[in-house]
Amino acid sequence: MLAKIWAIAYKEVYLTFTDRSLLLIMLATPLALASIIGFAFSGFIGGQGSDVSVSDITLAIVNLDQGMTTGDQTLNQGQIFIDLLVPDGADDPDNALHTLTDAAALPDAASARAGVADGTYAAAIIIPADFTQRITVSQAQPELQPVALEVVTSPAAPVSGNIASSIAGGIADQIAVGSVAVASTIGALTERAFSNPAFGLQFAAASSSGAFAPDFSAAFAPASAPITIEQQTVTGAVAGFNPLVSFGSAQALFFMMFTALGSANSLMEEKRGGTLQRQLVSPTPRMAILLGKMLGTWVTCVVQVTLLILALTLVGSLIAGELQFIWGNNIFLIVLVILLASLAAGGVGALVAAIVRTPEQGNIVGSVIALLFGLFSGAFFSLDAIPGADILSRLTVNYWGVEAFTRLAQGQTDIGLNLLVLVILGGVFFAVGLFVFDRRLNV
Amino acid sequence: MAHPPHVTLTPLVQVRQLSKTFRRDNGETFYAVREVDLDIYRGEIFSLLGPNGAGKTTTISMISGLLTPTSGDATIGGHSITRAPLAAKRLIGMVPQEIALYPALTARQNLTFFGRMYGMNGTALAHAVDEVLDLIDLKDRQHDKVDKFSGGMKRRVNIGVGMLHKPQLIYMDEPTVGIDPQNRRRILDTVLRLRDEMKMTVLYTSHLMEEIQEISDRVGIIDHGQMIALGTVGELIQKLGEEDRLVFKVGPQTVPDALLRQIESSVPTVTRAVFEQQALGGDQSDSLTDREGVISIYATRGRRALPDIIRITNEAALEVFSVEVREPDLEAVFLQLTGRALRD
Repeated sequence: MLAKIWAIAYKEVYLTFTDRSLLLIMLATPLALASIIGFAFSGFIGGQGSDVSVSDITLAIVNLDQGMTTGDQTLNQGQIFIDLLVPDGADDPDNALHTLTDAAALPDAASARAGVADGTYAAAIIIPADFTQRITVSQAQPELQPVALEVVTSPAAPVSGNIASSIAGGIADQIAVGSVAVASTIGALTERAFSNPAFGLQFAAASSSGAFAPDFSAAFAPASAPITIEQQTVTGAVAGFNPLVSFGSAQALFFMMFTALGSANSLMEEKRGGTLQRQLVSPTPRMAILLGKMLGTWVTCVVQVTLLILALTLVGSLIAGELQFIWGNNIFLIVLVILLASLAAGGVGALVAAIVRTPEQGNIVGSVIALLFGLFSGAFFSLDAIPGADILSRLTVNYWGVEAFTRLAQGQTDIGLNLLVLVILGGVFFAVGLFVFDRRLNV
Repeated sequence: MAHPPHVTLTPLVQVRQLSKTFRRDNGETFYAVREVDLDIYRGEIFSLLGPNGAGKTTTISMISGLLTPTSGDATIGGHSITRAPLAAKRLIGMVPQEIALYPALTARQNLTFFGRMYGMNGTALAHAVDEVLDLIDLKDRQHDKVDKFSGGMKRRVNIGVGMLHKPQLIYMDEPTVGIDPQNRRRILDTVLRLRDEMKMTVLYTSHLMEEIQEISDRVGIIDHGQMIALGTVGELIQKLGEEDRLVFKVGPQTVPDALLRQIESSVPTVTRAVFEQQALGGDQSDSLTDREGVISIYATRGRRALPDIIRITNEAALEVFSVEVREPDLEAVFLQLTGRALRD
């Protein structure tokens, strides 16, 4: 039976890869689309912005800043993030930040991380406990100290994560500029006190309170931009958003799904053409026919995705101006994702092939499934800001594949759930397909 | 029952009480095939005839393992199609009516692929492919893709695939449809060679009566899911007796029953006269101008009865456009048994 399965699979692969028009759809189209998107978003690679139109990015703000007390005043710079981002009911309804984000204040970092992990929030900004202390000059701390804000993002919402980082960076810059200005002003006053004795006496009296630290160097030292943004994923790995990875893998898996469904649909075309009946009257079990078909589909999908990933690597290298492998360093896991995503796609194809009765039905059903799967995996546009899209995404093969690729590209290796889901989807779909195929194939 | 000398009288196929029911859209169950009994002997060409929807394809689909019988069974070489389907299938080769080949593969690749489906491989497969390419006379085009072939060449590859694994029973469903006379002749010769040289048993269907009459050792006629006649061509024709059929075409006119009864009573050799209106060109129009009246008169020694019949039609002022004398043939048998022409 193995020889027959292999013969059917070999025939499938041979027919696919000798069909030029099919190759154009399978390889050239997704490569072109992903490259266009990659070049369009290449600003992200250079760390610049983009003009992606999004709104209502769900954001968690955790202000752990303990502030500091000078005289009878308590200063908490971290509260500025809450004041600016979290609506309190009395805000201007046209506040651009409130339109862009849907922010909520959370009490601790753990709940924020959990919220990002489960998709409640697209990102979380975590302000450290010593935030105010480090960016405020005082007698005890005459110079500003570097401090890092933590922006936690989800691999499933890379665009939102980058926008959240940009927002945090913008606010932090404003706070930093204020701190530097204060430090500079104090420095200028000190100089004037030395040159003007009358003023000096007044200033000495004021500075004896301990609230001033005269130092001009703060305006020019590296600490003049003392707040840095440290973008992290929910598991803590440093995130880097490369549109070629997320859009490229989404495109690759979108077209892979088309290939899988098209290849499976050829079963119906074979039924119409009579070649399926020829196989059925031969001493070949139906399971062998479907297994052979699926093996052929799987091999085709694996080759297709592998070629696309290699081609996108070249495109990424062109954009970056140097040779770089954009998919991460764990080749074993990358290969595993390709193999299992192709398996799951083949399973979906087997199920569709078993359910439909004509090639036309297969084309319609297959196209709808491929489009929906592509849509919910972000192959066309980011779904970060669409309510509920995240949950629907998780029902697709593409989501788990794209997310796995994105995680691997970010240096993470915790894709066990992704692999498990892909195996289960492939296995269940194929088993149901085989059962239905055996019962419904009435030629 | 007389059999040709090459027919062994050992049944290769035994069909017993074979039935298949389907469910209509309204939920009603109907018999597509009802309790068919049939033996097909080793080394014979057995033709199965039947109008469209008679149950012919369903019967063959069950024998070849495409459909599961609702009840009854069939054996091929002693292997039950229900209890040992894979063993039974090893003995069958199929030549479907449509060109069931992969157009993007070459003739040789097609043969090789289907050979593998029968468990063939290696040099044995390569040798069998060579043999078949010789037999279908396509060795010089073996590496050309099938979609570059003419209709006749495709049909020959189609047949080649069916015979590649040297089946004991080869089923050929209208293998000469839509091809030119030269290729048709070549295919009929191939069918005869399958029986005479390769000792295969052939289960054959066709709409062309002359083709059936030429090659068949025995014929089964199936209608409404039941086998209504079975025998050699000669035996079936004998069932009609020695009567000729005289066909009078009378255009759009209608013929009264009284005239038909007058012909039956006035001409001693006439046994029956029937009038029917047939659609011109096979269409389904109800318009009288699109239909043609035909009187079929059955008579022994029909040519002798002809003058008397013409005299009666002249006296009745019936305008006759043409007269044809048809001697007993398989088509007449089919018409009499089913009430329909085979092409209807």
